[in-house]
Amino acid sequence: MLRLDGLRKSFGSTCAVADLSLELCRGEVFGLLGPNGAGKTTTVNMVVGLLAPDAGRIAIDGGGSPAEASVRARIGVAPQALAIYEDLTGEENVAFFARLQGLSGRELTQRTAWSLDFVGLTDRRGDRAKTYSGGMKRRLNLAIAVVHDPPLLLLDEPTVGVDPQSRNAIFENIQRLQNDGRTIIYTTHYMEEAQRLCNRVGIMDHGRLLAMDTVEALIRDHGGMSVVTAENDAGLCRVETDDPVAELGRLQAAGGLRIFRLDRPDLEAVFLNLTGRSLRD
Amino acid sequence: MYRILALTAKDLRLLLRDKVGFFFTFFFPVLYATFFGFIFSGQGGDGPGIKLALVDEDRTDGSRAFIERLRAAPEVTLVLARTDGSGELTREDAVALVRRGRAAAYVVLAAGFGDRADQPFHGGPLQLETGCDPSRQAEAGMLQGILTRYVYQGMQETFADRAKLRQYLARSMVDVRQADELDPAARAALNLFLPAMDQFLANLPEGQDSLAGFQSLEIKNTDVARQRRGPKNPFEISFPQGIIWGILGCAAGFGISMVSERTKGTLVRLRMAPITPGQVLAGKALACFLTTTGVATLLLTLAAVAFQVRPGSVPLLALAVVSVSLAFVGIMMFLSVLGKTEQSAGGIGWAILTVMAMIGGGMVPLAFLPAWMATVGHVSPVKWAILAIEGAIWRGFSATEMLGPCAILLGFGALFFLIGARAFRWSESG
Ligand SMILES: Nc1ncnc2c1ncn2[C@@H]1O[C@H](COP(=O)(O)OP(=O)(O)OP(=O)(O)O)[C@@H](O)[C@H]1O
Ligand SMILES: [Mg+2]
Repeated sequence: MLRLDGLRKSFGSTCAVADLSLELCRGEVFGLLGPNGAGKTTTVNMVVGLLAPDAGRIAIDGGGSPAEASVRARIGVAPQALAIYEDLTGEENVAFFARLQGLSGRELTQRTAWSLDFVGLTDRRGDRAKTYSGGMKRRLNLAIAVVHDPPLLLLDEPTVGVDPQSRNAIFENIQRLQNDGRTIIYTTHYMEEAQRLCNRVGIMDHGRLLAMDTVEALIRDHGGMSVVTAENDAGLCRVETDDPVAELGRLQAAGGLRIFRLDRPDLEAVFLNLTGRSLRD
Repeated sequence: MYRILALTAKDLRLLLRDKVGFFFTFFFPVLYATFFGFIFSGQGGDGPGIKLALVDEDRTDGSRAFIERLRAAPEVTLVLARTDGSGELTREDAVALVRRGRAAAYVVLAAGFGDRADQPFHGGPLQLETGCDPSRQAEAGMLQGILTRYVYQGMQETFADRAKLRQYLARSMVDVRQADELDPAARAALNLFLPAMDQFLANLPEGQDSLAGFQSLEIKNTDVARQRRGPKNPFEISFPQGIIWGILGCAAGFGISMVSERTKGTLVRLRMAPITPGQVLAGKALACFLTTTGVATLLLTLAAVAFQVRPGSVPLLALAVVSVSLAFVGIMMFLSVLGKTEQSAGGIGWAILTVMAMIGGGMVPLAFLPAWMATVGHVSPVKWAILAIEGAIWRGFSATEMLGPCAILLGFGALFFLIGARAFRWSESG
């Protein structure tokens, strides 16, 4: 569905993306995880044709380049920087961009209503976007991305500032899109999101993809050991282990296990181990 | 095309929602046109034209005839008597009137004016003493032209009447004989010319008093604009100006909206959509064009309905409006590349537009401006815009005459558009 080959992009002396290669299958949700400045947005911008890569190739749907309008029509983007008309209502915003995608008539009405529902803004559709809260604007930004039902979706931090309830609803909708065979690139700082939504996750830092795999595999390979903290007759102890169940058994056998805590490695730990830095600094 | 129309519709909708933009595009021009229409028409009891305090110290037939001609002149309104009715103005009264702003200028016909006026070939130039409110220089310039014209008109009348002319020649011959200080060469020439002329007049067949031969020499004061009648009412001047202001408002507004699309990030979204950059620009240009023609149509309709402004030619007016709109669509495009933020684009844009308007006669009609300014005005699209619109409304332009300004306007439009489109930055950083 999407293939990136040796993508490179520099801004002056800053190398934003260095030698990025990636292949996504149809129906896959790919999480791009990385700290600020890792190069996630730059990657998205190259995929959608906003930025021309310094080197490398982008092939969408078996060869199309985003420089062609017909290829761009097959992509939906929720840019990280909000891109909505504050003086238009939510509905007008969505309908306008739908028209730019060539939708008209009945289809336009239906798709507009559908995507407003997708982000839970149906109630506020008649209000001007400038009266929306930050999270609502973010949701409108997402609605515009999905209105033309594109096979490839690029969602650049689409849920920043969105409350947990709306976020949950959006996740369910995204999962539905995935089940319908849409391919999605999802950038985020939130590992819970990546863990919940993504089939595969790429960990990015300084423009490089440090690792790319399923969440379980990443944790297994790069997460390090679980940490068991327990209190028994021998007192308080902290043990790093690959097999926490066995370790707990051992502590129990040693006698009088009263209380314990198990810290399993997560993507945060994966990131820390790969880069020596924390994901959110 | 569907997509371009979608872009255009979006922009028009945004314009209608932007109160400030809407004000400058629609209300300000209407206010401007009606307000200045009333000002020019000297509303409130004053007659039309420049208010002129006139002092007659000469009190001869010549000076009185000149006053009568001025009284009949539509360009000026004379004040001859004191406001309290205690008699004619003195020089001091006249100066005071100007100082207090009750008159734009004063004119003194000093003793000897009548004699001089009757002797154009002799005795030095005819002198009028005038003074003018320094804040009304434009009117002073215009006044000079008007006075000259009516002085000449007096001479014309003299030339046209055989008896009067012969009388004048006879007096001149006496004067020449008596003038000791006259240069010998000039005296010789006059001694030859004056009698020969008198002879010619004496031999003219009876009934040819109108002197057909002189008719063609008559100093004609028709304006450059080959006026059939000149503007019939001041609204024919103020409404073209109002239209210009509306169009300037559009150009600035849409130029700024291009910048704001970039700063607000929506331009990014437009670029990600399956449309070409050309379509994005075309959508904006079309919205700007429709708004400018809309403003022009609104104002012209208002002018026709409320102020009896009847265009000389409606098709030519349409041509003029379309050309003007296209020119300013190009200028809009140009303005959109002048600033990084809405504020700077707005500031620089309005500065440029204001200068264009000033030197192009969009603020004060060109006729009231000093000559050098009218020349400089050639580089201002506003000048050609006003000329084209006035050409169709009251200057009585033929289709061929209209082509000139329209071609210039389209040239301006294309030039500005190309510069703007080339320099347009599609992203915040690039
Ligand atoms: N237009 C630009 N001009 C100059 N440098 C840029 C530009 N865009 C991005 N960069 C630089 O490229 C690098 C990658 O930026 P990018 O926006 O892709 O990061 P990101 O992973 O999306 O970060 P975030 O999590 O903060 O969104 C950064 O060092 C940034 O400063
Ligand atoms: Mg980013």
